[in-house]
Amino acid sequence: MHLFSQFLIAGLIMGILYCLMALGINFIYGIMKVINWSMGEFFMIGTYVQYLLITYFIGVRYWYIGVIISAISVFFLGSFIQHILIKPMFVGIIEEKMEYATIVTISMAIFFRNVAVAIGGPYIYTPPDYASPTHIGPLPLSGNRFVALIGAVILLALFYYFMKNTWIGKAFQGVAQNRSGVQTAGINVLKFDMIAFGIGTALAAAGGALLAPIFLVHPLCGLVPTVRGFEIIVIAGLGSVPGVLVAALSLGLAESLGSVFINPSFLDIYGFVLLIIVLLIKPFGLFGKEERVA
Amino acid sequence: MQSHMDSHKKFELARLNIHPFKLKFFGLSFLFLVIIILPFFISDYWIFVFTLAYYYTILAASWNLLGGYTGQFSLGHHTFALIGAYTSALMIIKAGIPLWTGILAGIILTIIISFVLGVICLRVRGLYLALITWAFAEVVRTYIRMGYEFTGGDRGLDAPLLFDTIQPLPYYYLFSGIAAVTITLIAGIMRSRIGYYFRATRNDEIAARAMGVNTVRWKVFAFMVASGLAGVAGAFYGHSIGLISPVLGEFNEMAMVIIFVVIGGLRTQAGPVLGAISIRYLMEVLREWSEIRIIILTAIVIIIMRFFNGGFMEFFKRGKQWVQQKEVREPVSAYEKIEQR
Amino acid sequence: MDGQGKYLLNVENIAKDFGGLRAVNHASLHVKEGEIRGLIGPNASGKTTIINLITGIYTVTEGAIYFSGNRIDGLQPDVIASMGIMRTFQISRVFRDMTVLDNMMVPALSQGQTMLEAKTRAEELLEFALLAALKDEPAKSLSGGQNMLLQIVRGFMNKYLRLYVMDEPFAGVHQSIKGIILKAIKTMNREKGITFMIISHEMTTISNLCHQISVLHKGELISEGTMEEVANDPLVIDAYLGG
Repeated sequence: MHLFSQFLIAGLIMGILYCLMALGINFIYGIMKVINWSMGEFFMIGTYVQYLLITYFIGVRYWYIGVIISAISVFFLGSFIQHILIKPMFVGIIEEKMEYATIVTISMAIFFRNVAVAIGGPYIYTPPDYASPTHIGPLPLSGNRFVALIGAVILLALFYYFMKNTWIGKAFQGVAQNRSGVQTAGINVLKFDMIAFGIGTALAAAGGALLAPIFLVHPLCGLVPTVRGFEIIVIAGLGSVPGVLVAALSLGLAESLGSVFINPSFLDIYGFVLLIIVLLIKPFGLFGKEERVA
Repeated sequence: MQSHMDSHKKFELARLNIHPFKLKFFGLSFLFLVIIILPFFISDYWIFVFTLAYYYTILAASWNLLGGYTGQFSLGHHTFALIGAYTSALMIIKAGIPLWTGILAGIILTIIISFVLGVICLRVRGLYLALITWAFAEVVRTYIRMGYEFTGGDRGLDAPLLFDTIQPLPYYYLFSGIAAVTITLIAGIMRSRIGYYFRATRNDEIAARAMGVNTVRWKVFAFMVASGLAGVAGAFYGHSIGLISPVLGEFNEMAMVIIFVVIGGLRTQAGPVLGAISIRYLMEVLREWSEIRIIILTAIVIIIMRFFNGGFMEFFKRGKQWVQQKEVREPVSAYEKIEQR
Repeated sequence: MDGQGKYLLNVENIAKDFGGLRAVNHASLHVKEGEIRGLIGPNASGKTTIINLITGIYTVTEGAIYFSGNRIDGLQPDVIASMGIMRTFQISRVFRDMTVLDNMMVPALSQGQTMLEAKTRAEELLEFALLAALKDEPAKSLSGGQNMLLQIVRGFMNKYLRLYVMDEPFAGVHQSIKGIILKAIKTMNREKGITFMIISHEMTTISNLCHQISVLHKGELISEGTMEEVANDPLVIDAYLGG
């Protein structure tokens, strides 16, 4: 029972941690109907920036400031990339939009991975722990996971508050629901696209910065979060922001339950089993919108 | 005056007729010849490099059929090569069946699975199809990695060699032959009425149906043909290299295939071939710059997509148009000079 | 099944719901072979929905549709096309990345004609439509009116065509192209006996072209007859003015 609750909580925690990645992907999709296949690489950039900040500038004591700086700097990077690469899709230059976005973001993913190797070498960097091991009740918990969890929850709460209660947040909801209609309300959709992309990538980077001591810092550290992120998207349904939380928790649970009751070395597969089961029942995800072919 | 005009017209027509068809024919024959005699001029190592290039040509051309011409942008194409390779190797190793039967089994299973996936993908399109095929690819790859008792996991499987030798030459001709057959098959399909159905389906599925095209049947057909070809490539791959591993099913492989097609020219016949062979060659030449070469490659893809959509083939086409326009202007004076003599 | 013998198209009391919205509410239509029927009505009266139901894009919630005695509701659009029903879309749906000629060939090839047959017929029709010069141009380079024209003549490539349903073929189209479209409809109707059902807002054109007019309002058929009869029907007047 002890072991079970330990794994259960660990699973839920991992779920929340993956949430940031998945949230970024689905948020961007909701606004621009574009899947950014390089989200994992923005996560990775987040880990690198955080590592550099901690090691050379602010030290590990102020790790949380590092997370904020990582997120903000990637926000600008993401917005810039959106501006030069993605925006042309929406101003009529590109005909085949979906192809373009997919090919470009996939290429970006590989580009960033190799740039990371070129700059920092194929090494794994280990950032120092953010906090010492603690407990939740009688259960031991790695300090890193604990603070990452707190950080993730704070970010998610901030995001929620932002979306529901600020003017910009509501504008985003408007863009997601009715892109052309919202323009008549005077909203510059293109600018919102850029900001949305920036926010989405910043979320991924924040996740990276938070999880750096757990996932470690190396060029391919974005791969696993990418897979988890997309698993969550498929389970949740494209574009659904609330669905991401449900799906992420389910994924975390599935992984931990599978590890406890079946076999911990098959970890990767439990998420996919969940994914297949969900798709069999609801082909467009738990909260996904059915795409009418007509 | 009258005869002058008629002969002039005939002269122009004759010129224009000679160019496209005969050029293509001689060009292809020449290329074919080069491919056949190439191994005698290069080292074993390079023969192997080109053999792999032909493997990727098969994947690129077949993906172009599915994702390019028919518009079903699959991110799970490489997985069928993986399935072909593993099915063949596993059946031979575990069930002891003969080699060629194993390869056949690999191909058959690939076609069956692609049928199922194709039917599943009927209801989805665009990004969602990409996502579903991506999920498919990851599920299969993860299963192979996790089921190490059966599949060898990350360590991979040793597959028996097709020819009783490790000399690269027979494998070179094997793959160049399969690639040639693949390209011919795809060209034949695209020139037939099926090609029209594929293109119409991609352009506007609803309109295509209204025009009597059974898009359901043809979308699944495209899936099966393309994936079957990938399965063929994969099945032979295992028995040519001798070792297969889940790396074949990594997303990176899929990305490379797409990059070959895009740089060569999406939705062209020659594009995937040109892209796969030239880039694989260049990657090998630039072996020492292992990250930089990929950085340059992906940057080129991004630039092509952003500014200059048609890849290599578009570049060729525009150049050809420019040259043709220039030439048509000249004969008038050349002919008149002949007349005046 | 009685009374169906003399009609080519029998729309029997159909209804169509989209979630809570009833777009078509017990509409019946009977079109004789060789007729040119006009289908008019204020906006959102269900005209396009009815076309989509006839051509298999939607399925009926209630009722049935018969074509030449055979029940066709529930069939796939491509099967319906092979039975001889073609349609055009309000917003022209041509195959943009294919040439004009290739666009034309699709409906012929799908009905089993050879490449040569299809090509010959396509060139004939393009000649008639004055589009022959553009035959190797990608369809996306055509103007709006040319697109509509291409859509229309493309439908004539179906060898088995018996009923041609057109959704707003004249909308926003240049006068000269409109002339070609009218000529095409009248010629095909006269020479090949092809039945037409045409949705349009252009009352004068419709009254000159169509033998009978059906009027739709809020998903129901409220009037039927010649243009004069229908124009004087108080129900119709009320529908257009009352809204």
